[in-house]
Amino acid sequence: MTERREFVCIGCPIGCPLQLTHEGPNIVEVEGHECGRGAKYARQEFVDPRRSFSTTVVIHGARWVRLPVKVSRPVPKEKVLEVAQLIHRLRVEAPVSVGQVLLADVLGEPGIEVVASRSMPRVD
Amino acid sequence: MLGRLERKYDVVVVGGGPAGLGAALGAKEAGAESVLVLDREPEPGGILLQCIHSGFGLHYFKEELTGPEYAERFLTRVVDHDIDVVPDSYVSGVAIDSDGSKHVRVMHERQGLHTVECRSVVLAMGCRERTRGAVRIPGTRPSGIFTAGLAQKFVNMMGYLPGRRVVILGSGDIGLIMARRLTLEGCEVMGVFEIMPYSNGLTRNVVQCLNDFGIPLHLSTTIAAIHGRDRVEKVTVAPVDKSFQVDLSRAWDIPCDTVLLSIGLIPENELSQNLGILLDAVTSGPRVSSTMETSMPGLFACGNVLHVHDLVDFVTRESLLAGRFAGEWARDIRRPRDNIRLVPGDNVRYCVPHTLSPEREHTIYLRCKEPMKPCILRVGDLTEKKLRFVVPAEMIMMTLKPDALERFHGDTLRVDIVPGKSAGDDAGDEK
Repeated sequence: MTERREFVCIGCPIGCPLQLTHEGPNIVEVEGHECGRGAKYARQEFVDPRRSFSTTVVIHGARWVRLPVKVSRPVPKEKVLEVAQLIHRLRVEAPVSVGQVLLADVLGEPGIEVVASRSMPRVD
Repeated sequence: MLGRLERKYDVVVVGGGPAGLGAALGAKEAGAESVLVLDREPEPGGILLQCIHSGFGLHYFKEELTGPEYAERFLTRVVDHDIDVVPDSYVSGVAIDSDGSKHVRVMHERQGLHTVECRSVVLAMGCRERTRGAVRIPGTRPSGIFTAGLAQKFVNMMGYLPGRRVVILGSGDIGLIMARRLTLEGCEVMGVFEIMPYSNGLTRNVVQCLNDFGIPLHLSTTIAAIHGRDRVEKVTVAPVDKSFQVDLSRAWDIPCDTVLLSIGLIPENELSQNLGILLDAVTSGPRVSSTMETSMPGLFACGNVLHVHDLVDFVTRESLLAGRFAGEWARDIRRPRDNIRLVPGDNVRYCVPHTLSPEREHTIYLRCKEPMKPCILRVGDLTEKKLRFVVPAEMIMMTLKPDALERFHGDTLRVDIVPGKSAGDDAGDEK
């Protein structure tokens, strides 16, 4: 039995409405896209949707009380809130330099790290 | 170097955001010997520092960076070029001598009042957010009503949460990004309300900031009233008709403690106005020539103070150019005056710069009035470009080659966006 899933393409501001037809885990076809990026996006969203995101953590001894951080690689879409909560438990001490790894192997996946998005010198 | 304030410079740049830093770099690269950047915040970087999401730098650095990363990379270049950057300093005015030298009046947090003499000035003050008064939302005046960018600074830098249950008015990118940001911080975002029949933000942000978290986007709908005595308690929202009149018979209430406004930006031009610089009524920024020079000789403008951009990469590009001509000016290099006026025509809200010169290649920036697809962008009868779509939220950039202008003998070029079929699938060209 075939089923349909709908997505909105994010490749450009047209935002093509995409319809993906599948039989269980097998993709039958993608419709609605005006260019190749739409088809690729719908397939990726169906098989393994992932998102990158940024948030902040508490920092002590710096000019600001929050340090911006980001995940170095996209995490599974349904784990975004879980990972955000994990990151929010971090406490960091200044100085910090941009790119510094604050948490490694997030969700047990090697390569997914939480890194500082800026440097913050020590201010006493 | 950070913090030094000399008495005399070739070029002074007002504002240390991406536009100011780009202009300073451009001026130095054009041969200006000494360049000073003044910024009223405690550190340079501007709004980039609070824009912690990624999506910056794809054009300029060829990789996707967060705002703070973009700012830090740029600042490193600026400091490497031996440019003086002085934060905590507020420019209260610029006086121009009869010999053309400029005197910039600076109030510094610790060093007091100074006058810095220079040969050219770049205005890069950026923009500020429109507030409740600009759209006249009826109701009471409780606490809990913020502009989206201010809330962004509170959350991302100062560590304050503006509230718990949030309604967002306006679907500009800052509003959409704050919807996701507050959701990640544990707030409940009740919905985003947009008076226009289309979103004012990028599709990517509608999908990843709203749809991913199940936050509803209500188009052609606005806040009809804000309720609450001391703190926001609820808002009344209602659909609007084609002339933007609210239909109260279809209104409904949403309980919330916070309202964020993402309803547009205004270039911050008090300094320009006090100088008597001519402004464009549509962009609210100065009118500029193709060298980014304002109506006052030796005063240049770039970035969001000139017209509101959606990509920082374009700000950088424009600012490097403004800085280059400000640097040349300081070295007594004078370009021939522009002799072609650029005029917005069908479905074009504005174009920047306002005039062109046939001697160089130009990049013109413009915005459409209404979404259209597919369409053709025409510059007089000199050149045209097929576009698959245009939307007001996406600035259009077009390059004009000098050979196109050489063949032109008029004094006015009209820019139009007209309906037209695009030939084939040229999606590969777009970003």
